[in-house]
Amino acid sequence: MATTRDYQPDLYPGDAWNGRDDEERPDFARRPPERAAKKSVDEWMEVEFKFGGSRIKRKALALILLGAPAAAPLFFMLPALLTLNENTFSVSVDDTLGTGAELCLFLCLLVTPLVTLTGQRWFVPLRRWYGIMMACCAIGDALAAGLTDSFAGGFLGRVAGHAFELVGFIMVMLVLPLLATGNRWAQRKLGRYWKKLHWLTYVIWALLAVHLMLLEGFGFQHGSDGSGFPGDGDAVFHQRLYQYSACSVFLLALRLPPVRRWIAARQKEGRNWLVYATILPVFALFVFGLIFIVNEEIFKGIDSFTEHPSAE
Amino acid sequence: MPSREPSRTDGLVVVAISVLAAVLVIAGLVYAAGTSGRHKAALAAAGCEPNLSPSGLQCTTVQMLTSRYAAITAPVNQQLKTDMAAYGASEWRHLAAARAALTAEVTVENSFGASLARFPFPPDTAQLAKTLIQVNETRAQLTAEQARSSSLKRLRSFNRRVKAAAAAVRAAVTLVRQSLDSPPAASQEP
Repeated sequence: MATTRDYQPDLYPGDAWNGRDDEERPDFARRPPERAAKKSVDEWMEVEFKFGGSRIKRKALALILLGAPAAAPLFFMLPALLTLNENTFSVSVDDTLGTGAELCLFLCLLVTPLVTLTGQRWFVPLRRWYGIMMACCAIGDALAAGLTDSFAGGFLGRVAGHAFELVGFIMVMLVLPLLATGNRWAQRKLGRYWKKLHWLTYVIWALLAVHLMLLEGFGFQHGSDGSGFPGDGDAVFHQRLYQYSACSVFLLALRLPPVRRWIAARQKEGRNWLVYATILPVFALFVFGLIFIVNEEIFKGIDSFTEHPSAE
Repeated sequence: MPSREPSRTDGLVVVAISVLAAVLVIAGLVYAAGTSGRHKAALAAAGCEPNLSPSGLQCTTVQMLTSRYAAITAPVNQQLKTDMAAYGASEWRHLAAARAALTAEVTVENSFGASLARFPFPPDTAQLAKTLIQVNETRAQLTAEQARSSSLKRLRSFNRRVKAAAAAVRAAVTLVRQSLDSPPAASQEP
């Protein structure tokens, strides 16, 4: 079981546009009052409580609770793996682990915008965990697709024989160095190059858009032609590229220097309410996109778990 | 912290993004409000047959039903093939391995029966489905009895009966599949 010691801060890039971690900022006394108030949540999270004869930090419990769902995609595929059920792998692994990897990537990328908005840092260790889970899901997806898909051309043909697969394969290749260097030792060894290397996360994010464009196209389901499920009246919501775009607006917007400057200025003025009110629609759009990805993950994941895979 | 001083443009960028997002969210909610109507239209376009649906459930297409049925039978078929191959490899020389393979077969057969019992078969297939559940149960009981054999000779003595039971299950599976595939007759329309 993971503990807070396993979680290390900033093992995935914070803000590529910034280049400086919060630790490098001027001392706490120089922060605006609003930020100082936010810091109290971090302090509250550091408090220990008694649990089963030992003392653990509130933060540890919160991190475990928030981090556990990221392992769900792998858990969903476990019965099929233990029973070597090739049918379940070939039918639904791409939806279960592929969608799982997408979700973990979004959660990993969500950490920095939330730090920007709230000023809190207690959940930053989750960035590394979600990143690792994203890598595990993506690698599992590629391996299973290569071994069980019905495409021609052997293992390589099955993982890179089509344009969308090739992009997916490149993403998996990029994820490998991130997974290998997602630890303190590698961070120390790579020094200033570590952060630059981990900007590959943004390349993966962009490649995911290309992967989904090639997979789903720009349109949506019409009759039996296109993406999504024809028996459902929500063809637009089931279009994966649209889901990706809806989620990415928030994740990208809060990384843009003008937006960050504006937020910092309002927070300095003590007008955090204005920040929340303005960002609310963008966050609502993120949630709108995310719920359909989560719905897909749960629906396909449970089907995979019961080994009655759904190809809908 | 961004180094440049905040400008008026920064505020305009934030407002533009916020307004765009608000418009998209509202459009999404408006679209979501029409889900029910579109769902019915999509089902009708996909050849929805109302009398295929068990009472109380929403309309189901022939394609949806056969696809769900195939999703149950295909993995069972595959798993049984694997277990039967394992049994075939050890029925002459390794009692424990043969019994283990048969026990695994029983588990799959019972799980298949449970899946069939939960499946929303339409009324005109219900009788065939009932027969399938029964013959599958008979097979599972026979396999379980075989798995309890104390010698290889006794174990093999069940082979002919188990084979016959398996053939009965296969025939019933095919009949149910054919029944699900065929559109309902005009006299069956509600």
